[in-house]
Amino acid sequence: MRYLTPLLAMLLLLAAAWGGTVIAAAAPPQTTVQVVGEGLTCQCGCGLTVANCNHPSCGFAVPTRDEIAGMINKGMTRVQILQSFMNRYGEKVLSAPRAEGFNLLAWVIPYVAVGAGVLLILLAVARWRKGESASAPEKPVVALAGDHFEAGLRQRLERDLRREL
Amino acid sequence: MTFIGQLALALALLLALYSIGANIFGIRKQQADVLTSARHALWAMAAMVALAATALWSGLLRSDFSLEYVASYSSTTLPTVYKITALWGGQQGSLLLWTLLLSVFTGIVAFQNRARNSEISPYVLIVLAGVAVFFLGMLNLVTRPFDAMIPMPAEGTDLNPLLQNYWMAIHPPSLYTGYVSTTVPFAFACAALMTRRLDDTWIRSTRRWALFSWFFLTLGNLFGARWAYEVLGWGGYWAWDPVENAAFMPWLVMTAYLHSVMVQERKDMLKVWNLALIGLAFALTLFGTFITRSGVISSVHSFTQSGLGPYFLTFLLIVVAGYTGLLLSRIRDLRSPAELESYLSREAAFLFNNLVLVGIAFAVFWGTIFPVISEAVRGVKITVGPPFFNQVNGPLALALIFLMGVGPLIAWRRATRKNLVQSFAAPALVGVAAGLLAFAWGIRGWYVLTGFSLAAFVLGTVAVEFERGVMARRRMVHESPPRALVNLVAKNNRRYGGYIVHVGVALAFVAIIGSSFFKTEVKRSVREGQSFEIGPYRLVYLGLSSIDTAHMENLTARLSVMRHGKMVEVLEPAKLFYKRPQQPATRVAIRATLASDLYVVLAGVDDKSGLATFDVFLTPLVSWLWLGGMMMALGTVVGMWPNAHERELIAAAARRRVSELERELTAEAGGA
Repeated sequence: MRYLTPLLAMLLLLAAAWGGTVIAAAAPPQTTVQVVGEGLTCQCGCGLTVANCNHPSCGFAVPTRDEIAGMINKGMTRVQILQSFMNRYGEKVLSAPRAEGFNLLAWVIPYVAVGAGVLLILLAVARWRKGESASAPEKPVVALAGDHFEAGLRQRLERDLRREL
Repeated sequence: MTFIGQLALALALLLALYSIGANIFGIRKQQADVLTSARHALWAMAAMVALAATALWSGLLRSDFSLEYVASYSSTTLPTVYKITALWGGQQGSLLLWTLLLSVFTGIVAFQNRARNSEISPYVLIVLAGVAVFFLGMLNLVTRPFDAMIPMPAEGTDLNPLLQNYWMAIHPPSLYTGYVSTTVPFAFACAALMTRRLDDTWIRSTRRWALFSWFFLTLGNLFGARWAYEVLGWGGYWAWDPVENAAFMPWLVMTAYLHSVMVQERKDMLKVWNLALIGLAFALTLFGTFITRSGVISSVHSFTQSGLGPYFLTFLLIVVAGYTGLLLSRIRDLRSPAELESYLSREAAFLFNNLVLVGIAFAVFWGTIFPVISEAVRGVKITVGPPFFNQVNGPLALALIFLMGVGPLIAWRRATRKNLVQSFAAPALVGVAAGLLAFAWGIRGWYVLTGFSLAAFVLGTVAVEFERGVMARRRMVHESPPRALVNLVAKNNRRYGGYIVHVGVALAFVAIIGSSFFKTEVKRSVREGQSFEIGPYRLVYLGLSSIDTAHMENLTARLSVMRHGKMVEVLEPAKLFYKRPQQPATRVAIRATLASDLYVVLAGVDDKSGLATFDVFLTPLVSWLWLGGMMMALGTVVGMWPNAHERELIAAAARRRVSELERELTAEAGGA
């Protein structure tokens, strides 16, 4: 029992971290200009993705969308296309950090934090329940049984309910 | 006006400082008249800040370009409504609006508590005045709205065209009202900690303020989303921009707070947690302002950047360190005989709901600051954009919606199997049926189907709760169903207001899923008379018209929208060319129905070929987002409405406190 809680904690945090990497790796299934464009940040300063930049003559988004279309026609995958743009412009062109190296922290930490929160709740509840069982009276003060008691209780409940309603 | 404005701000600062000093002196020396004077000083402070705001508005309306602010954010041709809203179009003005709201709220708190909460109200006012001192200090010393423009220009630079929009007229004041009003519960929390009056009096006293804050944070976020939808012209309403995130985080934390205070009121648990949440909510409002003003993180919404960042960061650190220290110093006094009998209980559902809400807030915070961390650690600039936030928050949002359905129906303390079956059978059935129906309609994807099912489950739980309540009233007091429904909500407005909010959130969630997963886009260049199709619509390009004014040139296209061969609407998307500053902007045209929005952008016009290019989006369920937002606002108003039962509870608590004090005085007199 002594090792159970830390072991559970470790497992929970590992599961949370794994969840983060799984989420990070979940890539959209299709390779379309829209999907690939969502993966790139427009460099015109609009703050939107290449797919969403709506400057009609944007010097970055418009030619990039055309280029993506050409790359898809050549049979390149989403990952290859994103890699190609990253090689040219650096990591900042990606609209989300890649799930590797230091950037893995971006994906994993939120889930680890939630996992730690779950753990804290489990520990707190265990303590509260322990306290409750320790402080519980051995015998009930009033015997909560019997038709007479239940009828009385029901009458009182109905009276209170009427007042409330 | 310059002199009046400057003088008013200087006097307001002095009055705030005097109020703090007088309150401290009054508390120490137990002098009621000094405390009264401190309160009066805060009313005078509010009047002075209002006078300063009026002076700036007057300058804007009169196009008084001798003021640097007016010259920078207005012009003679700016429509009057935007001259008024230009008050929050720039750095100094928006800080002045913030300070005005804070001063007015401080004045209201001073008035509300002139004859109640006498033990903590001087401390509350010290905190409120302390925050006001910071903002007034900024306005007097660092970013002054009444600086002169020398030489005075003949014309102003004008307001940023993106801000010349109806939604921008109401979005910042709503958001600021939400931001600033968190200061009131925060001040009460500080006062409770300082005075060690750590029961739930501070929560009960600020319940309405917390709801008020949440109401405006909701509207602020909603109006901001609507503004982005109409002005930015990319067919979306939320891009996880740092400034959007900064507005969203306090909303999440305040939502958690509004749920967890119910556990404290009911079970005397989570005292530390509630105090921590309100501190966090307040700190996040400052963090939001820090992001907007500092330029540390680039944002499409940062219309003004300045050197205010270090001041806000310092103030934020002082607040966080001071409040954390105060909270830790009282941790022993905050212990309560907490008990949680089962994970199958409402208090457990609220605990997990809080975890998920704060978890999402943390994920948003982490994603917002991660580029700064990356650059500091690796020296590499990266972007954390929508794909990150959607992927990380998506699963958490599902958990949240699930808990939102569970919370209202599950029993306090411990739910039995019978309770679970009785309560959840019908809503669960509704959820599963909704999922199956969606599948039968050809909708695929686990997230979409789960999301629709859970939203239907939530609606089912709310329906069950209303039905139960109405049936109980019909049985007990023999009312007709409509009367029973009205009386049910009127007599339990807090509870049923909350359920209305839940309906709003479920609708908004459905809208977010629908609009995110099923948006279609068509881009076409057409000549006059030509047409193209998107979804069930055929759009016929009718031609262009142009209006040239001193303020801007407006190039409007007309498109006839046909459905099943019948014309249903004429849409008029436009390109606007503002003359000062010379900047183009988009006016989108939207045909909104409950099913979908037809969203048309005039992307460009080629004068030589006569081709007009349109970017058209067909986005399902967007209207549900605005409808859901309005339901949230309505539910909050219902929940805030004065309730005789609650007033009686507050009066009873006050009577108990008076009796306690009388007993203490009697004991002291006996001892002496």
